[in-house]
Amino acid sequence: MAALLTGLMVIPSFQQAIAQLVSAENTAADGLSRNATELNVSIAVFDPGIPADASTHRRLQVFPRIRKIEALYLPFVLHEVLVDSSQWGAVRVVPAADIAAELLVSGTIIKSNGEILELQIRAADASGREWFTRNYTGATTVIAAQGEAEPAAIGYQEIYAEIGADLEAARALLDEQALAEIVDVSFLRYAIQLVPTAFDEYLSANPDGTFTIDRLPAQNDPMLERLGRIRGVEYLITDAVDTKFQELHAEIASIYELWRSYRRKFTQYQLDETRRLENVKTDAPKGSFEAIRSAYDNYKWSRIAEQEQESWADGFNNEVGPTIEKMEIRVAELEGWVDQQYAEWSALLAELFALETGRTE
Amino acid sequence: MLDKVKRFSRLLSGIVLCAIIANCSSEPVIDESIRNYEGDLPANLDGSWERDYLRGDNINQALNRAFRQLNQSRSRRNYDRYEEWRNPRALSSTKDGASLIALARLTEIITRLDVFKISQTEHEIIVERKDDFAILCEFYDGIAQGAVTEYGAEVCGWEGEQFVTHLVLPDGLLISHRYKISPDGESLRVVTTAASSASRVPFTLNRYYRKYEPFVGKFNCIETLSMKRVCSTGEL
Repeated sequence: MAALLTGLMVIPSFQQAIAQLVSAENTAADGLSRNATELNVSIAVFDPGIPADASTHRRLQVFPRIRKIEALYLPFVLHEVLVDSSQWGAVRVVPAADIAAELLVSGTIIKSNGEILELQIRAADASGREWFTRNYTGATTVIAAQGEAEPAAIGYQEIYAEIGADLEAARALLDEQALAEIVDVSFLRYAIQLVPTAFDEYLSANPDGTFTIDRLPAQNDPMLERLGRIRGVEYLITDAVDTKFQELHAEIASIYELWRSYRRKFTQYQLDETRRLENVKTDAPKGSFEAIRSAYDNYKWSRIAEQEQESWADGFNNEVGPTIEKMEIRVAELEGWVDQQYAEWSALLAELFALETGRTE
Repeated sequence: MLDKVKRFSRLLSGIVLCAIIANCSSEPVIDESIRNYEGDLPANLDGSWERDYLRGDNINQALNRAFRQLNQSRSRRNYDRYEEWRNPRALSSTKDGASLIALARLTEIITRLDVFKISQTEHEIIVERKDDFAILCEFYDGIAQGAVTEYGAEVCGWEGEQFVTHLVLPDGLLISHRYKISPDGESLRVVTTAASSASRVPFTLNRYYRKYEPFVGKFNCIETLSMKRVCSTGEL
């Protein structure tokens, strides 16, 4: 730990220093160097969007436990789309929003019933600039005017591609200098979290929530290298957490698709039932056994079909629950280790800063 | 679908209004005030229940009782008490009788179950019945809430220590269940009433149930999505 923090390195300029540190970190992470436009992307676990009023859950067909699982699972689907596009640096799913992330993508699940997926996605960079906040809706099928199910114009998977395209479009509005500045601000914000006394004079927070670089650290500031190494270690842990999300995705993908398939079938059943009800004609006299039995059975089977969904939800939870639990325990262990180290690193760096500069908080 | 739900909401409101307006007394009526509650739920009905065949109504006796009630509700010039006691069904018109018998048949089918299970928590009561839908009542913020579909609506709540559910269906059909637990918690009385706008009187059947402990087998089973029921002799 001491070696990590006290090693000296001659750094030509701040920007070059950051680029080298980031490049070294990125080379370790993905084996290739990235160019200035390839920002690192952190995708936070989604907000499950569970209505606070529990009495509405059944009516809205919200299954809270499944929503929480989707909040862990769906971000990784976006992760895969962004990685496959080869347009970004390191893409990671993180358990909580990282304010120092170069580009942070966060989302809320508005609706998810196997048939329709609606997400609200927000993208903001480290300088506090909001790239966009938009709603995306994807459907497996759409119900045409004739009441027949048809393939949707924008499918379930395509919404992730649309999110990726919107991110690229928003990035295209920024020039290389602005993108480089995002990387610098990201590092400075990270530095401020760890050693506020050493770096808070370099960055100003604006009333609109954005950040501006006031000045840059000295070319040979030893703190830069230390922070770079610490950040590298932290990225290793983040990558380990990201791997856990990847494993989760691989393990539950098929079961999640089965759940969606059952939900779609239920939606189709409801549609068929509505049509049947509109077309059914009965000659049974009012008050006769046939009439009242029919009325009772219509209600009975509609409720049984609804309640079948709840048993599917229980089945889904039973099947993936142990996997989720294991993942959450492991992620909590990793995060706990980082939090513990964070406190130690922060204290150590503050001490070193005081020793080297004579300045304290 | 939305139109049908709206129609049922209006029907529900109409039924309540009819409780107030005297000349609608032939319509089945329910009291929506049962939906309001304060504090903890008045009784704990949780458990597995099996039918107590020594107690409760015989269907024919209950039907005769209903026919007597029907006859008494009609003014007759030459009211023959003896004939009414001997064969109550003979004095009723064919139409009245047919409607009442229809209600009796439906009630008998609904109450045929030998066992059922009630799961009760702070926020819901679920009555699980074999070959029938589970009756569900949710309790949030002082209001009891039943299910609503395009085919009907459930209104549920408490009348004192009685748990009450009403199922409102088209054409004035109303199925009500009243659950009352004994002071020692071992016996449950379920009063089921079926009423319709086609029948002058409702049909009521009393059933009694005893609490029992379901048999615990050697296998632990859980439901899954891809493999359906999965059982093991160990823990799952």
